[in-house]
Amino acid sequence: MTSPSGSNPPPVEPIAAAGAAPGAIDLPEAMAALRPRLGEAVAALEERTPYAAALLSSRGGLSILVERAEETITQLPRAAGAVVSAFDGQVLVERSVPGFDSQGWQRAVDRLRRDLPASSRRGDGRDADPAPQDFVTVARLPARALSLEDKLERCRELRDRVAGYDPRIVNVRVSYTELRETSVFRSRTADLAQDITRLRLQVFVILGQNGDIRYDWLSRGGTGGWELVEIGDDELAETVAGAARLFSSERIEPGEYAVVTGQGVSGVLAHESFGHGVETDLFPKERARATDYVGRRVGSPLVTIIDDPSLPAAYSSYFFDDEGMLSRPAVIVEQGVFRGGITDMVSAHQLGIPRTANGRRQDYTRKPYARMSNTFFGPGQTPLQDMLAQVERGVYLERWVNGMEDPQGWGIQITCHYGREIRGGKITDRVFAPVSISGYVPQVLETIRAVSPSVALDQGTCGKGHKELVPNSSGGPHLLLQVHLG
Amino acid sequence: MADLLQAAGQALEARRDLLGWTAVGRRLRGEQLFSGRRAIEARRSIESDTVSLEVLCPSDGSAPPMCGAASVTLAAGEDPRPAIDFAVRAASRTRNPLYELPPPATMPDVPLDDPEISDLEETALGLHQRLLSGAAADSEARLALAEWFVEREEVRLVNSRGLEAHQTRSEISLEWIVLAGDGDGRVETTLDLTRRRLADVDVERLWSEVARQTADRQRAGPAPMYEGPVVLRGRALATFLHSGTIATLASGRARYAGFSHWEPGKSVFRGPVAGDPLTLWTSRVVPYGVHAGRFDSEGLPGQRVLLIRDGVLQTYSAGQRYATYLGVPATGAFGDIELPPGRTPQADLLADPHVEIIWWSWFSPNPTTGDFASEIRLGYVVDGDRRTPFTGGLLIGNVLDGLANVRWSAETGFFGDYAGPVTARFASFRVTPSRD
Repeated sequence: MTSPSGSNPPPVEPIAAAGAAPGAIDLPEAMAALRPRLGEAVAALEERTPYAAALLSSRGGLSILVERAEETITQLPRAAGAVVSAFDGQVLVERSVPGFDSQGWQRAVDRLRRDLPASSRRGDGRDADPAPQDFVTVARLPARALSLEDKLERCRELRDRVAGYDPRIVNVRVSYTELRETSVFRSRTADLAQDITRLRLQVFVILGQNGDIRYDWLSRGGTGGWELVEIGDDELAETVAGAARLFSSERIEPGEYAVVTGQGVSGVLAHESFGHGVETDLFPKERARATDYVGRRVGSPLVTIIDDPSLPAAYSSYFFDDEGMLSRPAVIVEQGVFRGGITDMVSAHQLGIPRTANGRRQDYTRKPYARMSNTFFGPGQTPLQDMLAQVERGVYLERWVNGMEDPQGWGIQITCHYGREIRGGKITDRVFAPVSISGYVPQVLETIRAVSPSVALDQGTCGKGHKELVPNSSGGPHLLLQVHLG
Repeated sequence: MADLLQAAGQALEARRDLLGWTAVGRRLRGEQLFSGRRAIEARRSIESDTVSLEVLCPSDGSAPPMCGAASVTLAAGEDPRPAIDFAVRAASRTRNPLYELPPPATMPDVPLDDPEISDLEETALGLHQRLLSGAAADSEARLALAEWFVEREEVRLVNSRGLEAHQTRSEISLEWIVLAGDGDGRVETTLDLTRRRLADVDVERLWSEVARQTADRQRAGPAPMYEGPVVLRGRALATFLHSGTIATLASGRARYAGFSHWEPGKSVFRGPVAGDPLTLWTSRVVPYGVHAGRFDSEGLPGQRVLLIRDGVLQTYSAGQRYATYLGVPATGAFGDIELPPGRTPQADLLADPHVEIIWWSWFSPNPTTGDFASEIRLGYVVDGDRRTPFTGGLLIGNVLDGLANVRWSAETGFFGDYAGPVTARFASFRVTPSRD
């Protein structure tokens, strides 16, 4: 499951960079104070279990909402707490406690140690302490360098700029979100810390005409600084025009269409098809049809799908996952052939496959699962204009609302706010709304007959089913394919 | 949590630069159980203690006087004073029309905390054991995954007008994945459910239903091309009603933001009405309702609010802030949906040929127009006693047009966030297959 969207220009240079010197990271004081004690807890637990780990996690942030007649600033609820984990190869047992108070932490460790079943297996003993590795999101214009007042004024300026674009505008909602995630992971072999800043700015435009309400939106964001959320006048004007066109929208006649996808819609297709469907915690439970398709063709040779948490500046990038795996890309589908899934620690162990850096938690109160980060189609070679020129009658799908996975049945649903008619190789002002894609994943991927070179990623939120929400990003190039719309 | 809430309240009380404040303390304790097909894979105990604060203060340099608003959340062990300083500074920079916080009120004594749930871990394990017993006896479907969250949350709210309120809510959430068939013929179904009371989690009946539906999905054909009556029952009907269109268009906040065109005293429909008239309450006093509460996040008492009578909007669902702005009564947050019994026996609604939808991939209509086109995970073409399952394809229609021509059953039931007729027969929606 994934929900709301926006698209981001392709990253042109590294913004989120690893490798700050130890000590440079600005961890919350209590988290920094507890960090040196984690090693001894891991060692103590590994006297009773083969593997133990500790995670300190703090997730919070700031939200500014500016509308026509309303303004609110919210410090987002902070989920800050510690997790201690033990895994015997069969069962993962964890204790989570709020905050980083040393007494609370010790209680959690003692309780876990007491509750662990007697095991003849234990860890390999305490090695020399691993060298700390610390990572910080790098930004050209860091959010923390701007005052609260600066950010508020920037949001107001944006609202006021858009409000003058069309007399039918009844409201402009500018929503700025700044998420800060700091975490420390400790195992026998790793002592990692990271400080990640994710920004997102959304402009939501509401128009009224003869008692009808129509809306459209635009979103920018990523890991980095304010440079990621600057929005140009042309994009804002097009957003207002997008809402205005909806006053004359029609329901689409259900059927098969030649479709060119916007980059965001391409991303949802990647996310719902070979994203959720290859989360390997589904594999041992017989929940993923992809289990039987490793090394087999699942789509057109033009299809390559990648999940990459190390992608510079992308919204869902991180330096290591919640199970201590350093980030690196995972190639899921390569030239139409399924190569392998994305893993969490437990399922990788169960399946005997290499781990990828995809063990993620919603926050310290939830367990880790295999989760996507930045999932996208790889680039192709057909420019968008050449792609459109191949379509005599079809639909350009740009603004997506949500998508839903079906890892077992390989069904897919992508709901789009609207689609625009393509006629004679050109996008027209005729609009269909809403428009849903439905189909069978391999058939949909098999119909892809052109892929554009330019890749862009969105910002959104992803659930596992309807819960376990994590920041997420998907995207890709434009795709030309044949699908059922309704 | 109580200490942190008290410290925060005292620090807020001491300030002289505020127009008002609200402090809400939440103490959550939970047990989580994760099981694969054969064995429990993970168990977790969780604790979470937070205090959230909302402050109102005069906006800097505004004439006429305006009100600034900001909120912050304190974590366990945190000193509230720096957070309050930040909140006041942030609030003073924002500009809103003036509004007041809710005054002290008598809170309804709505049942929220199931006394049968004493030990959270034992409850989770007991429910899971019942599920395993049911699943073991089934030959057509098998359990792939089960997750159980059993929680108890205590909430205390105080505000600057002297309001003090307290409630404790229990909650059981489950997610099951059920499989049928093998190889490329294998299918799965997902069951998500949240209830507050152990007695409302009928594990055996739920397993029986979902196992039968999974087996039906395994032998289902493609969706037909169809336009005509569509029946929704139970959980599917609750999903339809809670899909966002009604809650958005009846929302005072949405109205104030220009996002809703609904007006009290006017029809909620865009055309003529046939079938049964629509009367609808939003209620936060349904015993053990998913959205039930003695009070909402502002501190407004739980109410049963008549939103729509005979197709005409009666009032908005509005918190104190938006009620003040719109000059309407403050009803509190949108809650569970209640409908009166219909006039037709369920058997009559099911007698004539129809399509029944059991569940969608994600039923998500446009919140302002009500238009939808949602993929069908399982439906049936029903003709007399013959029920032919199908999967895939889209259900296409409009929520409001559907409600303008529907017949409701005389039989009623409770489905967690919806209490009312168990069956609705909509006059006409479209079904289209995924491929021509």
